[in-house]
Formats: sequence, C-alpha cells, structure tokens
Amino acid sequence: MLRKQTVYILLMIVALIGATGTSHADYVKANKQNSPVQFGLTAVVVRENLRFLNQWAHYLSEKLGHPVEFVRRKSYRDVMDLLDTGQIDFAWICGFPFVKKRDPEFIQLISVPVYAGKPLYHSFIIVHKDSPYQSIEDLEDKVFAFSDPESNSGFLFPQYLLAQQGKTPEGHFRQTFFTYNHAETIEAVAEQVANGGAVDSYIWEYLNDRRPELTEKTRIIKTSPAFGFPPLVARVGVDPWMVRRMKDVLLKMSDDPEGREFLSGLKLDGFGEPSPELFDSIRKMVAETRKALPWAAAAENRKNRLAGGKE
Amino acid sequence: MKFGFHRISGLSLKLALTITVVVAGVAFTIGAVMVTIDWQRFHRELEGKALLLAHSVSATAADDILRKDHWSLFKTLKKMAKEGPDELRETRIVTAMIIDPEGLVLAHLHPNDHPLGLPLTHRDEREEQLSIAIRKIRSPRIFSSDIGIFSNRRFLEGVVPIYSDQILLGFVRVRLSHQELFQKAQRSALIILGLTLALVVLGSLLGATISRRITKPLTALTEGMEAVGRGELSGIGPVLVKDDDELGRLAATFNNMARELAEKKSLEEQIAVSEKLVALGRISAGVAHEINNPLAGLMNCIDTLKKHPNDQELVDRYLPLLDKGLNRIKNIVESLLIELRAEDAQVTDNASSLEDLRGIVESEISGRNIDFVWDNDLGQDVLINKRRVQQIVLNLLKNSIQAVPEAGMVKFKTFREGNSVILEVSDNGSGIPPEYRNQLFDPFFTTKNNGTGLGLWIVYRLVESMRGVIEVETEVGKGTLFQVTLPTMEVYT
Repeated sequence: MLRKQTVYILLMIVALIGATGTSHADYVKANKQNSPVQFGLTAVVVRENLRFLNQWAHYLSEKLGHPVEFVRRKSYRDVMDLLDTGQIDFAWICGFPFVKKRDPEFIQLISVPVYAGKPLYHSFIIVHKDSPYQSIEDLEDKVFAFSDPESNSGFLFPQYLLAQQGKTPEGHFRQTFFTYNHAETIEAVAEQVANGGAVDSYIWEYLNDRRPELTEKTRIIKTSPAFGFPPLVARVGVDPWMVRRMKDVLLKMSDDPEGREFLSGLKLDGFGEPSPELFDSIRKMVAETRKALPWAAAAENRKNRLAGGKE
Repeated sequence: MKFGFHRISGLSLKLALTITVVVAGVAFTIGAVMVTIDWQRFHRELEGKALLLAHSVSATAADDILRKDHWSLFKTLKKMAKEGPDELRETRIVTAMIIDPEGLVLAHLHPNDHPLGLPLTHRDEREEQLSIAIRKIRSPRIFSSDIGIFSNRRFLEGVVPIYSDQILLGFVRVRLSHQELFQKAQRSALIILGLTLALVVLGSLLGATISRRITKPLTALTEGMEAVGRGELSGIGPVLVKDDDELGRLAATFNNMARELAEKKSLEEQIAVSEKLVALGRISAGVAHEINNPLAGLMNCIDTLKKHPNDQELVDRYLPLLDKGLNRIKNIVESLLIELRAEDAQVTDNASSLEDLRGIVESEISGRNIDFVWDNDLGQDVLINKRRVQQIVLNLLKNSIQAVPEAGMVKFKTFREGNSVILEVSDNGSGIPPEYRNQLFDPFFTTKNNGTGLGLWIVYRLVESMRGVIEVETEVGKGTLFQVTLPTMEVYT
C-alpha cells in the first residue's frame, strides 16, 4: 500500500518536472505511446463540417508536434463519459456540464473561445417564422425541440424560463424531444416538426451565415442573458506538459495567419484565458431552477432516461 | 371515271382492307392485353415499393419510439422520402407517417398539418375509415384508395406494424401516388400503340401487295376476255404467268385458249381468201364462156365475108348477125361494169318516180294470171337514186314474176324505217332450193334456159354500191322475200 503510494507520488513528481521543462520525446516516453491525442467534440460546434475539422486537426497536430484526432459522439453525456473513463484527453463541452458538480473532478478548464469580442453567447428561443408565437408562454401545449439534455442554451435556459413560472417542460409543452444537435433543432423548427426550440446563439448565427435558407425559416422570440461560451477542457489525468502545450497552441492560434483562417472558419476571434467567474451565471441559473422546482432534477433525470441519453 | 376506278380496285381494295382490318384487330387486341398486363405489373411493383419503403422505416423505428425520439423518427421518414434507392426516385411519396396504436402522430412527413402527439387529422370520412382499418392490422399490408381509377388523388399505401418484443408500438404508413403508375403505363401504352400502328401500316402494305398480285392477272384476264368478246384475237398479249398456283394455271389456260382462237381465226381467213379465189375463177370462166359463144359465130361470119367480099347478099345477111353478136358482148360487158356508169349516180328523183315502174311490170305480167300488189309508201320527201333503185326493183320483180306459177302473187312494198328505206319484193313461188342459195348472187348463175345469170348479180352490185344490205328469206314451195335496206343518206345523193 505504502509502496503503491510512493510510486504514485514519484510519478507525480516526474509529471511536474515534465510540466516545467520536458519535451515531446519525454511525453511520448512517459506515456509509452505515440497514439493520437483524442479531442472530443460536442454539438457546441457544427460537427458535420468534416473537411474543415480534419484540416483543423491537422493544423493542431502540426503545432502540437503530436497527432490530434477529433472524436464525435451523439450527446454531451457521451463525451463526458469518454472524459470520465479516460478514453479522450480533451473536449469542447458546454457550460452546463462544466458547472455540474463531479466527485472526483475529472476535468480542468483550459480555454474559452472568444466570440464577437467576448467569451460569451446566448440561448435563442426560436419558432417558425410563419407561426404566431411571441413568447415561450404561447408555446403551451405545443411541440418543443431541445438540443441536448446537458446543453445550457438548448435545455437549461428554457427549463429555467419555465421554472420561473413554476412550470416544467412536460407540463407546459404537449410534446418535447431532443435533437442532440443545435443545427437539427433549427431544422426541426424550420420543418415545423417542433413549434419551438432552444438553440445556441453561436450555432444559429454560424448557420445564419452558412445556411441562411435554414435559419430564415425561423424567428427568435427570446434571447437569454449572456453566458460563458462553451469551454474547452482537459481530462485531469492528461500529462500536464501536453495540457500546457495544447493550451498554448490554442491561445496562439490568433497570432498566426493559418490559425486565424481556422478561427474565421469557426467564426471565432480566438481562444482566451478563462476567468473563473465566467460560468457563474450558469451556476446561478442551475441553482435557481433547482430551487424553484426541487423535484425538477429528479424529473429531468427520469426524462433523460426515457428520452434517450444513455440506456 | 367512278366505274372505272371501282372496276379496277374493287377486289384489290376489298382484299387490302380486309387484311388491314384483320391485322389491326389482332394488333390492337394484343396491344390492349399487353397494356393491361403492364398495368398490373406496374401496380404490383408499386405495391412492392410501398411495402419496401414502409419496411425500411419500421426497421429503425422501434428503438426511436421506445426512446420517444420523435426527431429521429421524423428524420427517418424524411430520409426515406429524399434518398430512396435510384429505382424509387421517380416514385412520388404522397405522405408518410408513424402513428401509435391509439392513432396519435409519432412522426409525420408533413408535421405542420399533422402535429406531433395529436390524433391524425383526416381530410374526409374515407380517410378516417382507412385509419381505423389500418390500426386493426397486425401484419404488413397494402391499402388502396377506392377513389375512381382516373383520379389524381388515387394512391397506394404500404402499412407495416412496428413491434418490439411482440408488443405493438405503432404503424408505418407510406402512401405512394398512382401518378407514377399512370406515367409508366402511359409510356408503355404509347410504345405499344406505336408498334400497333406500325403493324397496321405493314399489314395494309402487305394486303395491298397481295391483292395486287392476285388482281393484276385477273385484270389482265378480264381485258383479254373482253378483247376476245370483241373479236380482237390478234391483239391479245399473253397474260403474264408468274407462279404455278391457281391463278398461274388460270392465266396459262387462258393464254392457250387465246392462242387457239387466234389460230382458228387466221385459218378461217385463209379459207375465205381461197373461197374468193374460187368465186373469181368461176366468174372469169363465165365471162370467157359468154363472150366466147358469140365470138365463134362472129369469127365465122367474118371468115365467110373475107372469102366473099363482094357478095352483097352475104353482107346483108351477116352484118345484122355481127351487129347482134357484138351488141350481146357489149351488153355483157356493160352489165359487168354496171356500177361504173357514172351518169347513173347523179340522176336523183323523189321516191314517187318508182311509180313509173308500175306500168312496165304490169305489161310484163300481161296475159298471165298473177296477182300483183303494189304498195309504195314512200312520198315526195324521200330522194332516191332513180336509175339504180328502178333497176334493183325491176330486176327483182322480173325474177319474181318468172318464178310464180299461174294464179300466183307478187308483192312490192316500200317503207321507211328510221334512217333507212326498205324495199321488199315477195312472191309465193317455188322458193330457192338450198343448193343454189350460195351462188344466188354470182354472175352468170342462172337456172333459166334463156337467162344471162346477171340479174341478181347486178342487184347485188347496185345495193353494195349504195352501202345497202340485201337479205333473202326463202322456203321451198312457199315463196321468197327479197328485202333491200338502203341508208337514207345514200338515197339522197
């Protein structure tokens, strides 16, 4: 037992030394492998841009001096589980899962994207442009599309809005479903499968730029207050040298032309240093939702079980 | 013109039309059968497609229904409608939906008209009945609209129930338009119609060819037979014999017949020529004989006068004999050349001039008990060639008077018939024996002791010179009738 602990401490020391002045060779040696760094992507970016994301992965690999691979999963929870089980090293997740309490904590914040000059975004409540609805109240007994049960903009915010009135989504809407993708939430509203939906303002504006024929069929009836932009995190167990290198590469993207090209492809200004209080508004919203509806968490969990998450 | 066309094309037209009608009938019948078969095949294909599409949706639907993943269900429907296999591309999916066993919408291709989680809205009662019927099925089935065949709203619906662990979760309904069926059937019907029309055209061409082949030799035969009928035997070209079929044999037989007829005719012509030569010989002999007879006496007289040139008595006795003999020869020659006496042709008078003859004939009869009937019906308005007609009538009447016995009857009758003048001389004499009838009009043929045999011959020549016709009816023991028909025009000249 004591010996095991000693080995662990020794390893930690080695890791710390590595963090101060080790090289890629040391990293490879220490990890006894040259397998690619696994980088999880969620619906906070448009994951369907395969060619663009492959080129970006290639760029990151070159800057990092180590291969990088993007990993896509259907839901946020899938990606969180991959982080938890150590199958991926980095991930671009949402503010909502980030602020959730984990014990033990297995993620660490490395960067927050800067969008339109600020590391902030909003949640949009959208309806079909031809529909008469002006507020989420008008959508009573209608069909509503959420993006992901772990999405701040796509689920937490509308839930919070309803909780303010003492309502739950199940009680307010006739039917709800999750698309697990902000882009598809917009599609569901545009196709009128859902009467309303909640989406990430960054994704909506990104698509408004790239696929205006889709977004022009929708109308924004509610814009949330600003929230911290979906952050990039590293798994706690990842070699600190690699974490530092990744952070470095991301932060310096806006300094070189090639990096700026990828940033403009993502419609971002750059990747910035996170400030701890950035996600406080989300934390506050979670707390207020729970306070208004003490049983909401349980209901939410139950619903998540039924509506898809993980079986 | 119309009759000519009809005669030429009657049979060929009928044959061609018949063949065309038969070919068209067969072709259209086969075409209709093919169109029907095609329609049924397309219908089965469409049914297969509807079920296939419904199955493709139901394959993934169970999990999504259990997870209440309406978005995924909708995407499945959308994908099916958008990205069917290539052969399904032209299929028009009218609508597609997934409903739960209670009839609530789980997903619908037209979510705006059929919102999620609500009962399916129905356009009419028929649709509602269909929905009720569909909710009762427990295995894949095809439903067809019972709207009229030619309605645009006609459809086919493939319905597949969705099960998970033997529990019914819902139904996939995929509705396909009949339009595709119509388009396909229309295309194949057009092709078949084109082929049918081509067959009909070919059939009528074939019919025309066959009927031409049959009717051409028939037409040639008909023309040949008409020529035979007209007696133009030499002008018949042989009918072309093509094949050794019935028509060919008919043509060959006709050709043989025509050839034999032509040979017979030429033989007859040869006989006629030789008969003429015989008659000419007889006439020449007669002339020679008649002239030779007085010549011998005349030569005798001249010889005698040469020996006794100064014997006045001989001269007085022989000169009248010479005169008589020479006159006889002159009369014979004149009679033979009778039609050449040009001055006769110009002497015309009206028909009443025939009355002059009456006295002459009666004086000829004088002393004999003969009943002479004179019935001249021609008036002043009819002009005749006086000398010639008088000569004809006189010769015939003299013959009759000589032919009748005592108390016999001779009758002369004239009348007009159309453009002709008819002269009839009849008697109730002994008639002409059959053996003489052929030689009746020959010169120098006579049965009388003192006759010259030129009377009837002269009549014949005179009638012929006026382009008339002389006919004889005679019966031994009963009498004879000579009938002369002269064209009025000729009489006038």
